[in-house]
Amino acid sequence: MTSPNNDKTLITFWGTRGSVSTPGRITEKYGGNTPCVTLCHQDTTVILDAGTGIRNLGIELVQGADTETHPLSLHLFLSHTHWDHIQGLPFFQPAYLENTHLTIYGSPKKERFLASVLKDQMDYEYFPVAMSSLTADIRIQEISEEVIQLGPIRIDWQEQVYHPGGSVRYRFHINGKRIVYATDIELDQLFCETDTSEKRESLCREYLGFIHNADLLIADGMYTEEEYPDKRGWGHSSIPILIHVASQAHVKQLAVFHHDPQHSDTFLDDLWVKNRLKYRSASHYMVVFWAREGLTLSI
Amino acid sequence: MNEKDENTKIWAVNGSATESQENEDFASTTTVEMDRDRLPGEIPITLRAYFEILRSDGKNEIIDLGDRERVIGRSPRCDIYLSSESVSRQHARLTFRSEEYFIEDLNSTNGLYVNGIKIEKCVLRNNDQIEIGRVKILFHEEKTLQKR
Repeated sequence: MTSPNNDKTLITFWGTRGSVSTPGRITEKYGGNTPCVTLCHQDTTVILDAGTGIRNLGIELVQGADTETHPLSLHLFLSHTHWDHIQGLPFFQPAYLENTHLTIYGSPKKERFLASVLKDQMDYEYFPVAMSSLTADIRIQEISEEVIQLGPIRIDWQEQVYHPGGSVRYRFHINGKRIVYATDIELDQLFCETDTSEKRESLCREYLGFIHNADLLIADGMYTEEEYPDKRGWGHSSIPILIHVASQAHVKQLAVFHHDPQHSDTFLDDLWVKNRLKYRSASHYMVVFWAREGLTLSI
Repeated sequence: MNEKDENTKIWAVNGSATESQENEDFASTTTVEMDRDRLPGEIPITLRAYFEILRSDGKNEIIDLGDRERVIGRSPRCDIYLSSESVSRQHARLTFRSEEYFIEDLNSTNGLYVNGIKIEKCVLRNNDQIEIGRVKILFHEEKTLQKR
């Protein structure tokens, strides 16, 4: 794993695919693993979601590292507990190391306890290893504070509606920079102007305020404009609305994330070629790119 | 449904009752037995990866990458030497691991770009466009079947 040097914050994409993993030649460029992103600053490692991409992260963390003398201390923030965001956890090698400290954070507003949901995923009917067999020191925490401080990283968060069952977005403040992770939300519904209710407008303001001026926004952009009408109500955004909203909020860099399983590398490349001028013609200059597995950026 | 009904062999997801049914034919159905010795042996694949350094005069330079680590930069000591003031002495590192090539910035002055995005590190895929200073490089990867 690329080690963070000096004051850089490194963001690595381990899984960028939405809904279900899609291995194969046609997805090798943008990746077939489901959501997992790391954010590393000095000695702090934050993991965003535990999709199948977390498996490769686990291998990288353990390989070549002396975990006996330098135990891993990791913080995993879950956007929600749909399969594609938790399914890699049973395959996360550091969770099987006794001296690993892993804290898992998630929404406090669910009907069931987060610990219970994660434990049930490893029920014997679904997986041969029980959660209790993970020998790491694992703490599962439903977030109670408005702000979490992890060393030099300050984290705030908001519940998201317009996704079945809801989800959580997170914002990381590091050395004056802001990185926002806001996946699994249907912005087309949130910013639907035909709904003039005060509640929706308030949610729009809340969203725009949260992502405002972000140095990097990692956000759900699952569908094309043409595909979206057939996917209305599924809880994911179309790419044009995401770009429009991010630009309006003066985001500096936008990683379009949670790719549709049907979108091959060629499809995404063609989509870029076809629309790149449109993506760049927004009033505010913003770097837009498709999130890609195996890519590390520094902020 | 919370309890398994022993008489019910087929369950309906939508909750509507289904008839109990045992498929006696299933047990008697077999697939064709295959002789393992007749399975094809390992297919030898050759991986060739190379940089195409784009020159303004059109005389592009091809550099085969092999599988050893290479440092790219303006210093003549670099494995891949790029003669441009916009390139740092040691600008980037190329590594080969798990049959994949990775490129990594070595704290260069002007940064490392892949497909127009400033990156710290990136796994390379066929046709990626790398920018090192003002030098543009195409990464090509070819997998070919060896003749037997």
